[in-house]
Amino acid sequence: MDPLLLARLQFATTTSIHFLFVVVTLGLVTLLVGLQTAGFITGKPVYERLTRFWGQLYVINYVLGIATGIVMEFQFGLNWSGLSRYVGNVFGAPLAIETLVAFFLESTFLGMWIFGWHRLRRGVHLALLWGVAITAYASAYWIMVANAWLQHPVGYEVRDGVAHLTDFGALLTNPTLTFAFGHVVMAALVTGGTLMAAVSAWHLLRRTPDFLLFRTSLRLGLITMALAVTGLQGFGFAQFAPVGDLQPTKFGGGPDRDAMVAEWTTRFGPGDYTPPVLSNVGLGFMILIGFTLGCVWLLLPLLWRDWIIRLKFPLWLLLLALPLPFAAVLLGWLAREVGRQPWVAYGLLPTDQAVSPVGSGLMLTSLVGFTLLLGALAVTNWTLLARHAARGAADPALGRPPAPDTDTRPHPVFA
Amino acid sequence: MELAWYALLGLFFATYLVLGGYDYGVGLLLARRPTAPATPEHDRAADASSRAALNAVGPFFLGNEVWLVTAVGILFGAFPTLEGELLSGFYPVVLGALAGVVLVTAGVQLRSRPRAQAARAGWDRVVVAGSALAALGWGALLGGLLQGVPRTASGHVTGVGHVLTPFVAAVGLAVLALVAVQGATFLTLRLPAADAAPVARLAHRLVPAALAAVGTAAVLGLLSDRVRAAVARPAVAVLLLVALVAALLVARAALGRGRAGVAFAATSAALALPVALVGAALWPRVLVSTVDPAASLTVADAAASGPTLSLLGWLALPLVPALLGFQAMCWWVFRGRTDGRAPVYW
Repeated sequence: MDPLLLARLQFATTTSIHFLFVVVTLGLVTLLVGLQTAGFITGKPVYERLTRFWGQLYVINYVLGIATGIVMEFQFGLNWSGLSRYVGNVFGAPLAIETLVAFFLESTFLGMWIFGWHRLRRGVHLALLWGVAITAYASAYWIMVANAWLQHPVGYEVRDGVAHLTDFGALLTNPTLTFAFGHVVMAALVTGGTLMAAVSAWHLLRRTPDFLLFRTSLRLGLITMALAVTGLQGFGFAQFAPVGDLQPTKFGGGPDRDAMVAEWTTRFGPGDYTPPVLSNVGLGFMILIGFTLGCVWLLLPLLWRDWIIRLKFPLWLLLLALPLPFAAVLLGWLAREVGRQPWVAYGLLPTDQAVSPVGSGLMLTSLVGFTLLLGALAVTNWTLLARHAARGAADPALGRPPAPDTDTRPHPVFA
Repeated sequence: MELAWYALLGLFFATYLVLGGYDYGVGLLLARRPTAPATPEHDRAADASSRAALNAVGPFFLGNEVWLVTAVGILFGAFPTLEGELLSGFYPVVLGALAGVVLVTAGVQLRSRPRAQAARAGWDRVVVAGSALAALGWGALLGGLLQGVPRTASGHVTGVGHVLTPFVAAVGLAVLALVAVQGATFLTLRLPAADAAPVARLAHRLVPAALAAVGTAAVLGLLSDRVRAAVARPAVAVLLLVALVAALLVARAALGRGRAGVAFAATSAALALPVALVGAALWPRVLVSTVDPAASLTVADAAASGPTLSLLGWLALPLVPALLGFQAMCWWVFRGRTDGRAPVYW
């Protein structure tokens, strides 16, 4: 089999799984910051219980975010050594910054946050969660800087066939960055909000004893969803102008595209410079889901006097809406990335020149092995998430107060 | 400039081996689960001992792995050419290490989430397998670097058969043994005093095994033509090897005298030294070609161009102390032995 196809399939699989987990991470951590800060200011126990319950789900979800993220990072070198060889001087910088500025601290803070309950002062413990959230956003930002550069390479010059950095500022003001970053953040908030609203709806439908707790998180999730979905649509449509100008082959035909293809044909020789149709299909369905989720505004008036809970059917609607944001982020990602083909760096480096000169047998082993491994871990993780979500907020393991006795041996006081 | 970045890369990877080393060492020791009568009481006791070990690592676990991620980030940002050639040139070895890292990451964090004892025991096996893979993989990568790669004039490493040598296997096993010693020594330092004595005895017994593994790797290295040809500074290599052996002897003596802190410092040095050895012995080259001396990759050639390095340099200058500061805060807050009141989560 063609190593290029295998390498692309592997990147698509790993990134898709990664994206499904990181949108939840980014969305939930924002809501958790709100919950824990509210608890810190008001001192109401319901917020601490909410923080522990949603924090537990957040932490379980985080596991697969890192596991898939590490595989992604290594994949650049394993399967795409041409990328580092030809454009590594420019593309590598934002990725290096991401690990130094963001991910390193995010995980360090999270470890302290998980084990810091009842041990650190409440202010320090809250500050740690703020640190986790800020670095998570920073991480998303730098990854988008790197991705935006692949969409529209700027701030470089080519000497001896290798790209060299000339203007780092241009990477940060890349027209394909700002709106796309806003779009991704809003998508994460919609996903986090939908997850929170849907899980709360399930407990309210089941009439779990924790009525007040799940009523609070239903309202928080729903309002987050509504506000973020509007931002999501705004940032989405705002991208059409820059993408149309800078990537004329992505979504449409017309004279711009023909001119671009003609230019590439003279510079790189004849070839198929139109992206697969999958990119437009992804775009269409994503927009459809975006409008469907926008209908959440119709549910907001029902928050008055808890009609949303009393009527029951809105809760069912929220539960049914849970898969939608996940499907939309995958479709949106397909639109953005498949629409860039056949380039790994648009108009600069063709995808087939970036792939590592590795035998197809090895590439296939890696594809099958990691797809099975990460797929199995993802399914296990979702099962655990569903079980913990269903278990309710009675006594999550996260933030459980220490046993009152002073026994020095750690007996299993936990279930 | 290149030297500073090369040293920083080495620092991050060596720190990862030291800190990740005790994660994997503790992971390997989960295999000690006595298999005798499978009664519910026995299962609960075995589960409790696994949990106690994992929660000793507890607050540090997430902060340990980031050293690897950041090392690869530095590799990509500061040495892009090396990143592509190193990872794709050692494809199977990196694949194995990566699978191990993923298994440990998921296993440690998820093992206590199910309530059933059987599921938890299953996750423990995942952690054991992952720890072994990760330790063997990183060891094999270091060994592979030391014996050179078939890099041709095209700039690519051809084939992957070059890693299948006794020397690479021996270095993999040596790192595995060092990691096991590191894990046992860490538990001696962290577990409640009553539980620490048996692991201290285990660590004491593991040191000679590690010495034997390191010795075997050293002898195979001396016998290997490829290693002798690749090593540019044999004196430095031998000196650092002697330091490694000395560190292990210090660790054994300290374990015997109940000085767990000294022993842990010594085993940590033993895990960091192989990285320094590989870096210094090959300098100024990093990928030594076994087929065409002119095709060897030097550190300077592997580095990113000037503007990229100075940009990253200005960022790293304030950042690296901040990163170290927050890690030190984590170590300080959770210093001392675990006890019944320590938060339990993994």
